[in-house]
Amino acid sequence: MSNYFEHTPVEILAKTWESPDTVTFRVNWQPKHDPGQFIEISIPGVGESPISFCSWNPTYCEFNVRVVGNVTKAISKLEPGDTMHVRGPYGKGYPMDYFKNNHLLFIGGGCGVAPLKGIIEYVQHHRKHFKDVDLYFGYRSRDDILFKHLLEHWEKEFFLHVTIDKDAGDFHYSCPVGFVTQAVQEADIPPDNKIVFLCGPPVMMEKTMPLLLDKGFHEDQIWVSAERHMKCCTGKCGHCMINGKYVCKDGPVFRYDEIKGVTE
Amino acid sequence: MGKLLKKSAANDFFRSLQKKGSLYAPVSTDMVRFQHIKTPEALRSIDFDGHAFFPPKKYLLPNEEELFTIKQGKLQDTNQSLPPQFVVNVRLCDLNAIAILDKLYLDPDYPDPYYKAKRDATTFIGINCKREIDEYCFCGSMDLQRAYDLLLDDRGEHYYIDVRSDKGMALVKELPDAPEQQDPTLPKTSKVLDQKDLHQFFADKWWEGDNELCVSCQRCTALCPTCFCFDVKDDMDLNLQDGKRLRTIDSCHSADFTTVAGDHTFRSSRLQRYRHRVMHKLQYYKDTFERSMCTGCGRCIRYCHSKIDFVKTINEDFK
Ligand SMILES: Cc1cc2nc3c(=O)[nH]c(=O)nc-3n(C[C@H](O)[C@H](O)[C@H](O)COP(=O)(O)OP(=O)(O)OC[C@H]3O[C@@H](n4cnc5c(N)ncnc54)[C@H](O)[C@@H]3O)c2cc1C
Ligand code: SF4
Ligand code: SF4
Ligand code: FES
Repeated sequence: MSNYFEHTPVEILAKTWESPDTVTFRVNWQPKHDPGQFIEISIPGVGESPISFCSWNPTYCEFNVRVVGNVTKAISKLEPGDTMHVRGPYGKGYPMDYFKNNHLLFIGGGCGVAPLKGIIEYVQHHRKHFKDVDLYFGYRSRDDILFKHLLEHWEKEFFLHVTIDKDAGDFHYSCPVGFVTQAVQEADIPPDNKIVFLCGPPVMMEKTMPLLLDKGFHEDQIWVSAERHMKCCTGKCGHCMINGKYVCKDGPVFRYDEIKGVTE
Repeated sequence: MGKLLKKSAANDFFRSLQKKGSLYAPVSTDMVRFQHIKTPEALRSIDFDGHAFFPPKKYLLPNEEELFTIKQGKLQDTNQSLPPQFVVNVRLCDLNAIAILDKLYLDPDYPDPYYKAKRDATTFIGINCKREIDEYCFCGSMDLQRAYDLLLDDRGEHYYIDVRSDKGMALVKELPDAPEQQDPTLPKTSKVLDQKDLHQFFADKWWEGDNELCVSCQRCTALCPTCFCFDVKDDMDLNLQDGKRLRTIDSCHSADFTTVAGDHTFRSSRLQRYRHRVMHKLQYYKDTFERSMCTGCGRCIRYCHSKIDFVKTINEDFK
């Protein structure tokens, strides 16, 4: 019997520091997956961390890792040419077919932008299936902005709006100071024919939701990605369970009406 | 299908199991515990009357188990092959608990190989309760099933052995057939849990009274035959190159069970954690599998530091 705890060794092709504490790895791996799914990266002797796919293409995968503790620190020390140990993909991703012919609105905060990048790349590969794409991304500071080298492309192809909590400086993308929630609030975004992808820290998600509902969005137009502590990713360790739902198996991606009112 | 076992020959039967593999049975010392019965002499110490303090889940989900050996910074598989083991005199509540764990750990999408190896090697042989063991048992209200390979049912001079699987039959085929099939009567209890849809009472203030008494000691989850939550961690030697990846029993009552990066804890209050345990046991599992995850064994009340009795609260206060 196959062992879900077992890892596949994959080669690291490239490594890019996006910000002082966030690094993107490109690895030579082509698993079939949907945007929004995730894997576990393992460092023998240190532990494992659940990490989302942050790319979508047939030839490689990218993972964006924020250094917050032991495992993520050890992952960040890997270099191109090294082997990364991965298991997965896990969870239910975004049902992209279901969104065809819609306008797409992405709202991301900090690290939450990483999984959204996976959806964006999927959309780029299937461009004619989708209508306009609006990106609203918020970061704490200029240094924290992720995927800086892609902003130029995204700006050409989509509507792009980046906000910075404080100290915008003279960054090329004259980013307004303030939270991304403010930008969403001020924006003229009629809800018709739109799908919203929301991913970010819990407080940002909590603040954004009422704004969207105020603008007339229906709960079934909004998709969120939940983060929970995870150890097994297969519905066994119990850590990720909220109100009877396993975030690892039933999520991490949920349509808002499926988890609305789900309390701890 | 039924077989007959003379009470005076019970030890001969257990001896036959000892010859086939390892035998584990409850033994009454300061309390009743499942122990390895290694020698023919030790058969005499097997207990037929008590309710084990620690449930037999430990034979499938030990408190600590090695998932991988780590050698020179690399994971290596551990050997999962196990000789046969027999766990006998298991009560119906604990037999049902195994069936509940099977649903999760043998889930066809992601069967757990560590659990499965132990499960395949293990035969659980039950003993029926003629009456409730004490005032904490409430299995009579928990819709228990005949979920076992074999169950001994006291019929005076004999045990009637209720056979429910080929695995069980292989062990008793030499014994005489019972003249007629007589399904054992499942235990009745004077304590009963009223079956209610707890979702309706999620925000009820009555949780608070019980919660105030809870000291987060985690006995309830440790002793529950169906609590299974675990943690995974790497335990390394001083050289930091060799060691093991361990899975250890965890508890949803622990304060950092739901903590994620940024120091955000989703169930940050004890009330939330207490309620989550009871909701999982009595409601969430049922939402998926159509039966409660609690088997009414009574341990979490019997051994609770503060004798918190959710059965009483649900019966009397949740209206
Ligand atoms: C579905 C999912 C997708 C994720 N995607 C990404 C991603 O793309 N990029 C990224 O940088 N991070 C992502 N995370 C978060 C990342 O998994 C944690 O930050 C990481 O596991 C922390 O491990 P650590 O050992 O470095 O930190 P530790 O020192 O162990 O802990 C730091 C903090 O992280 C928490 N934590 C520890 N282990 C876990 C765990 N297994 N699951 C969740 N929290 C944990 C701890 O409770 C603590 O609060 C994701 C988490 C989930 C559940
Ligand atoms: S809960 Fe039921 S089966 Fe378990 S020991 Fe008590 S009477 Fe026996
Ligand atoms: S919840 Fe309590 S009574 Fe129910 S099975 Fe677990 S320990 Fe036994
Ligand atoms: S991560 Fe273990 S149950 Fe979801």
